Amino acid sequence: MEYSVGSIAPIFLAPVLAFVINAFFGRRLPRNGDWVAVLGVFISFIFSARIFGDFVFGKFATDYYIHKTFTWLDLSYMDQVWKFDLGIYIDNMAAIMLLMVSGVATLIHLFSTWYMDHDPRHGRFFTFLPLFTSAMLGLVLSDNLLALFMFWEVMGFCSYSLIGIYYEKEEAGDASIKAFMTTRVGDVFLLLGIVAIYMVIGSVTYTDIYAAIAEGKFAGQSVLGIGLATFTGFCLFLGAMGKSAQFPLHVWLPDAMMGPTPGSALIHAATMVAAGVYLSLRMYPLMVAGDLTAFIAIIGAITAFGAATIALVQTDIKAVLAFSTISQLGYMMIGVGVGSYNAAFMHLITHAVFKACLFLSAGSVIHSIHEQQMPKMGGLRKKLPYTFIAMFCCSLAIAGVPFFSGFVSKDRILGDALYWGFMAGQNPMLAIVPILGFAGAFLTAFYMFRMIFLTFFGTPRDQHIYDHAHQEHLSFTSNVPLLILTVFTLGFWYAGSLTGQGIVNVMGAKTEWFKILVEAPQVEKFVGSEAKKTPFIEPTTYTETLPVAVLDGQTGYAGPNPDEHKIHSAHVIGAVASIIIALTGIFLAFLMYVKGAIKPLAPKFPGYVRTLQNRYYFDKVYQDIVIKKGLLGLNRLLAWFDMGIYDRFAVDGWAKVNRVLFRIAKWFDNVVIDAVGVDGAGVAVNLFNLVLRIVQSGKIQFYFIMLIVVLCSYIWTLNF
Amino acid sequence: MISLASYLVISLILFVAGITVMVARKNLVAILLGVELVLNAAALNFVAYSRYLANNLDGHIFSLFIIVIAASEAAVGLAIVIRFFQIKDTIHVDEATQLRN
Amino acid sequence: MFVQILFGLSALLTISCVIGVVATRNIMHSCVFLLGTLLGVAGLYATLGADFVAVTQIMVYVGGVVILMLFAVMLTGGKDFVSKAQNLLGLAPTMGNKWTYSLAGLVALVFVLTNVKLLSNIITDAGPKTFGNEMPSTVSQLGHLLVKDHVLAFELSSVLLLGALVGAAIIARPKKKQ
Repeated sequence: MEYSVGSIAPIFLAPVLAFVINAFFGRRLPRNGDWVAVLGVFISFIFSARIFGDFVFGKFATDYYIHKTFTWLDLSYMDQVWKFDLGIYIDNMAAIMLLMVSGVATLIHLFSTWYMDHDPRHGRFFTFLPLFTSAMLGLVLSDNLLALFMFWEVMGFCSYSLIGIYYEKEEAGDASIKAFMTTRVGDVFLLLGIVAIYMVIGSVTYTDIYAAIAEGKFAGQSVLGIGLATFTGFCLFLGAMGKSAQFPLHVWLPDAMMGPTPGSALIHAATMVAAGVYLSLRMYPLMVAGDLTAFIAIIGAITAFGAATIALVQTDIKAVLAFSTISQLGYMMIGVGVGSYNAAFMHLITHAVFKACLFLSAGSVIHSIHEQQMPKMGGLRKKLPYTFIAMFCCSLAIAGVPFFSGFVSKDRILGDALYWGFMAGQNPMLAIVPILGFAGAFLTAFYMFRMIFLTFFGTPRDQHIYDHAHQEHLSFTSNVPLLILTVFTLGFWYAGSLTGQGIVNVMGAKTEWFKILVEAPQVEKFVGSEAKKTPFIEPTTYTETLPVAVLDGQTGYAGPNPDEHKIHSAHVIGAVASIIIALTGIFLAFLMYVKGAIKPLAPKFPGYVRTLQNRYYFDKVYQDIVIKKGLLGLNRLLAWFDMGIYDRFAVDGWAKVNRVLFRIAKWFDNVVIDAVGVDGAGVAVNLFNLVLRIVQSGKIQFYFIMLIVVLCSYIWTLNF
Repeated sequence: MISLASYLVISLILFVAGITVMVARKNLVAILLGVELVLNAAALNFVAYSRYLANNLDGHIFSLFIIVIAASEAAVGLAIVIRFFQIKDTIHVDEATQLRN
Repeated sequence: MFVQILFGLSALLTISCVIGVVATRNIMHSCVFLLGTLLGVAGLYATLGADFVAVTQIMVYVGGVVILMLFAVMLTGGKDFVSKAQNLLGLAPTMGNKWTYSLAGLVALVFVLTNVKLLSNIITDAGPKTFGNEMPSTVSQLGHLLVKDHVLAFELSSVLLLGALVGAAIIARPKKKQ
């Protein structure tokens, strides 16, 4: 196969072009250029599909990749090397992710053309959304941390713009700044980690990092008393925590719901928040080398469980989904920490699909009844049949009901977590992780179906809203994207067997394509990967015999102490437990909200409920204590310094210096140049003229004297 | 015995006087007077040297020729002066400053 | 003995008449003083044993050139002029006043010193080489030299004289009246 930049670049460039066109000409285009954005993303989807087809249907082995690099910045001087290469790195994981991102993005763009039709911010939305998509695609394509960071920041900016898109609302502005600042805290550490890696290795390319880990360059060095691998891994993970809304940097995601729902669907559900998980997956060998996996798992578990508890008491439909997103991201982090690399990635993909569908459906509901609070909804099943189908299936998926994609991925994570926590022979305190994981799964099922039942079942609580709700018709832009996404929430697309190790082989082992293709990078294989880098511009033909992956009992578990049989049994236990938990949760929700058989528990625990409603007071703590009491003082000091000292002396002082310099220059110009130079030249010429006039008098006697004088002086100088 | 130096001193005085006259007088004819003095000084020098340093009469020959040439030069020069007088009606040397007209 | 006296008298005549040439304002007086100078020089030639040259000097110079000068003076008005003020920024001295004489004197002094330095060796060593104290007649020797060794100069000088004659005549021709 031949891969040239021309076959890969459109994935990134088509949405960028859509952004540029919409940015400059959006207003002049019909419908503010939303079709330009759709087209751009669709083009990148086509190219991604081609790569996906090559990689997946060609069944490339997990260590096969395309790597094209070019030198972006070379500041080397003599024997000091300061080189930054950029490039493209595509392996199985990237191929799958490209397809997911571009596919989901295309469907969301399509849906948005209907959703944002009469929105005052129509044009702006369709300017930033393709930019964001291109940044995410670029992040997936990039082969090094620096490019990743660049796209990370672009996505942060797009998120900021889209959250604050209704800029007349003060809360929207505040929310966008909050999002940006919270992720900024993480980004600072991410940059620190990247710099640290560069100082150690001299490169930030993934393959170089893996090779360096294999060669032990990270071992034995320490920064501030912490091991180097731990330090850099921690810094990188902090960036991921900020972006993927892990505890304690999760506070921005619920407020980000101020943005338009399709934007939230793409950014805060499917892609941007997944970037943090993607980074953790790519840097997994570094995390392992730094012994950070337990930390990651614990953070993930806390996030997963905590967000699930908060989601129980939310009344805004988008808030439920926001906390659900935070919770599921926590599951992905559990996966990363536990060593369930393959399953974490699969959960990322499946979550993106069903969460996007959920958000779009919520958008459809909101669009039809113009109301976001669930207490005012009810019985919308008849008015919004297609939305109901989509939302119901996706909720089944997220709850972890068998035969749906969410079950496949989440159950694998939980099974591996079970093994890791109880059976892998580690610190028994780490068993809290699978416990929280299963508890969170129960809560997930419960609150998701609480949402479904409150929205679509029962009698309408607000008759006025129900009567004015628009009846849904099947249309290309409003329903079909939802249904397409719903189709992909079915489990068989991802795995033929229901869970790991082919417990129930529904369609045969051959369909375990996902598990085969994605595996934690084994650093030993990357030693000497320098040779595999191909130049960027030329088309690269990969002529070596391509290794084909086979299912040979990989467990997908990359954590410590793998024992195949124990893992297998853990997965069986986990599968059974998951099914029981999920069905119990759904049943309880059914009882409580449809049948009304169980009275709501909320009034019995008012204290707890209030805590949950205030989201564990995280926002308050951050705002009042950290910012008002802590940072504000420093802020004022810096402001005083900036304005009082720096501005006064440096800026104004510089102006005074400039004025003096100007006067000097003026004097110089007038006196030296004009008087001395210009006039002086004239005077000098005049003087010379005077001398000449004397000599050339025409008087014979004068000439004669001149002659004598010259002769005498000549003789004299010759002889003396 | 009269030394060579005395003759040289006399010729020197003649020479200097001739230069002075040439430089200082404003009458064209006076300038020619000065020229004559200079030439005489030179001729005296030649003869003196031929008597004191050389064993032949080359100095005498040269002096004779100096006399001849001086005479012809005086004649021509005075002719020019007369011409100048015919044109300019004066023989003030400061009038002779232009090359044309 | 006689030579010394003759030398002394001739030198005295020469120098005093030269001073007269330089100092008198009247051109006529200058010409007459020139005449006296040339007579003195002739006497000096005689003390050097250059009898032919002395006589030629008297005949040509005194009897020819000076007379010619006197004629010219008569023909051109015979005035001596005072120099017009030529003060060029006070820098260059004007001609014909004491400054000019001083300058000329200075130049002369420099010239003298130069020559004295140059010729000091020669002058101190020199003694009369020819004839001891005898001074034979030089006429016949000169005649031989003129037509044997210096015949070219002799012939050329005759051409020169012809040219001078003709040229002077043409130059000084009176203007044709219209």
